[in-house]
Amino acid sequence: MILSRRFKEAVKTALAITIAIGIALSMDWDKPEWAGFTVAFISLATVGQSLNQGAMRLLGTLLGALAALSIIALFAQERWLYMLALSVFAAFCIYMKGGTRHQYFWQISGVACVIIAVEAGFDPVNAFETAVQRTEETSLGVLVYSLVSVLLWPSSTGSEFTAVVAKLVSTQQKLFEASMRGMVGQGGAEESDPLRAQAIQQHARFSQLLEGAVTESYEIWEQRHQWRAYRTQVAEFAQALEGWRDSFSELRGLDLGLLLPNLVDFDTELQGRLTEIAGMHQGQAPTRQPQVVDLTVDTAAIRDLSHFHQAALTVTRSRLQQLEQVTRAIFDSVSEIRGFGRGSAKVLRPTSRTGFSLPDPDRIAPAIRVLATLWLAYLAYIYVPDIPGGTGFVIFSGSVGMALATVPQAGVSLLFVPAAASVLFAGGLYIFVMPQLSSYTSLGLLIFALTFAICYLFAAPRQVVGRALGLAMFFAIAGITNEQSYSFLAVADTALMFPLVLFVVAVTAYIPISTRPRVVFLRLLARFFRSAEHLLSTLRWDPDHRPGRMDALRKAFYTRELTTLPHKLESWVGALDTDTLGGTTPQQVQGLVTSLQALSYRMQGLLEARSHHQADFLVQELLADIRDWRVLAQDACKRLSEDPASGTREGFRAKLDDVLKHLEERIEDTFDQAGSEQLSAQDGEHFYRLLGAYRGVSEAMVAYAGSTDTINWDRWRESRF
Amino acid sequence: MQLIPSDFVIGDVYFPPFLIAGLLGFVAAWLTTQLLNRYRLSRFFAYPPIVLLAMAVIYTVVIGTFLIPA
Repeated sequence: MILSRRFKEAVKTALAITIAIGIALSMDWDKPEWAGFTVAFISLATVGQSLNQGAMRLLGTLLGALAALSIIALFAQERWLYMLALSVFAAFCIYMKGGTRHQYFWQISGVACVIIAVEAGFDPVNAFETAVQRTEETSLGVLVYSLVSVLLWPSSTGSEFTAVVAKLVSTQQKLFEASMRGMVGQGGAEESDPLRAQAIQQHARFSQLLEGAVTESYEIWEQRHQWRAYRTQVAEFAQALEGWRDSFSELRGLDLGLLLPNLVDFDTELQGRLTEIAGMHQGQAPTRQPQVVDLTVDTAAIRDLSHFHQAALTVTRSRLQQLEQVTRAIFDSVSEIRGFGRGSAKVLRPTSRTGFSLPDPDRIAPAIRVLATLWLAYLAYIYVPDIPGGTGFVIFSGSVGMALATVPQAGVSLLFVPAAASVLFAGGLYIFVMPQLSSYTSLGLLIFALTFAICYLFAAPRQVVGRALGLAMFFAIAGITNEQSYSFLAVADTALMFPLVLFVVAVTAYIPISTRPRVVFLRLLARFFRSAEHLLSTLRWDPDHRPGRMDALRKAFYTRELTTLPHKLESWVGALDTDTLGGTTPQQVQGLVTSLQALSYRMQGLLEARSHHQADFLVQELLADIRDWRVLAQDACKRLSEDPASGTREGFRAKLDDVLKHLEERIEDTFDQAGSEQLSAQDGEHFYRLLGAYRGVSEAMVAYAGSTDTINWDRWRESRF
Repeated sequence: MQLIPSDFVIGDVYFPPFLIAGLLGFVAAWLTTQLLNRYRLSRFFAYPPIVLLAMAVIYTVVIGTFLIPA
């Protein structure tokens, strides 16, 4: 009989919980369920990932315990300051969890601090003991789960990791081939779009598995810097590919074979590199080293083209050159990783992006939500006499609030079924079955059966918080100790606490900052266009204006917003309830997000093109025209930030065509006037790149306006309960 | 007004009247919001989550005062 992975994982988790609680009971430790919680929270798909989670949990618990003891030592007699310090620390942990690394460590620090501080805060004499026990039991849980996962059906990251890496390379190679065909007019989006979606998924899975593989395999750990650099380079390759594909619409009607004479050689070289990279991942030594290829342009042939076509060609060429550089870097990284390097291969380290340490509104919002949750629960605990659950109510509200805060797309309603089922089932077992048991053999079997059922029934990744809450409710009701006593009041108290916890978490999901998908989507859309408007305003030519430090910080902030917001919007598409959007379909919303992604790439291209020096002569002659264009785009962004549906595709297109026609004539005149001493070849290239980038932004805005035409914005903007 | 608390009894379990009033108040508020959504009347409210909370409180007080007095 072949057992499913879901079954095996549920057995492993249930067995580890049963053993951990059994050991805690045999050591006569108070609250042995803490060891069980640990197992429930660290049980992930593979050994490597779980070991990593275990280490993070252990370190997080240590930091949480230290913070809790410090808070108790400082504010034991001041309940408001005590709660203020505790909630600020928890909010800080959730802010840090929103970063790119060690998310689990920060979450556990926050949860452990709340549990220890609230449990021990009202009994400061035992605070140290509580903290030590929590740490001991967490270590026990980590150790037991690690042993079970290594000995029973070990599921290694290694094979899946290797397979995902190979698949990712193959998908990116196919996407490159399809895009190359699309550029020369031999293929369409229907061929490349599914490949693009596959590549995104595979890259996400690769990133997820990499950290687990680093913990699990010494070989990968040794090369961890190279692997992380490789991950960044693969992402850069995907981004360069996207930027390149977006510029195809402006190349229509051009004979690229004639204009770019060595395009076929260039394509062959890049295809060859990608094949060699795929081969190296399968253990085959490379048969050749990458050759530097410069994509040349037939200067005689391009003279007959319009200035805008020349600009589009310049932009495309620079994108292809970027792909050439990135594939070369990937080749070097992979040959280093797989041991085929000649020792001199220069491996790029991940580049730190400017402004990524700036405050992020999407990390501040969950922190505020956690603050609100903890304060609401704490005020209820203080002012409502005999509130069900007592301090447990504050602990559960804080822990669940923290687990949900950084995945706001997962609604509170997802928690209801597992928690209610646990309460009912555990209540029945506690009242009718547990009093009949006399040894840990029978209790252990019961714990095993119940935890297995919860883990098996709620195995989907989006149910992870519900599963954890279900297990936690069971342990809270069962209250397992060596000297077991039974009380109906305990069950009733916990059963009443659970709707109150969900109520508090639900209230803070909407107040003060709403996490309703339709509201969040509009908010993010407005932020995107505000960022675009600000960045366009920074493009002005003003020799008297020297940007200060604050200007640089604002620019970095808005650049990050522009880069990251399309991905954030994409994560909300699945959460939208399109039934209430008056006929708008998820595909239409996805189309809108795709057009925003294209606009984001175009804006980044414009910022990059603007950073190059432009010839003084051209600036003097064309300043007013370029300025008019910028102001037009800026105004459009301002209007779109206030109303995402302002303007139609036809309206944008007509304005753009007017501007292009006028500018074409002005550029013609200016170039006629310019002598060769006034305009070098490099000046010409920089100018064409800027011109192409401006046009790209405008075309992307036209495409965005087209994608909004099909959406019923009136219904979307309507308030709903 | 009745001054002696009147508990609800289900089986041998006694429930406080405020708890029942609160539950019914929340259910009534939720049903009202579903109706308001259904007939697109929710668009006249600036911030619906606060309205839901306010309605739950109003219903609880009304039910607690007139239907299930403590």
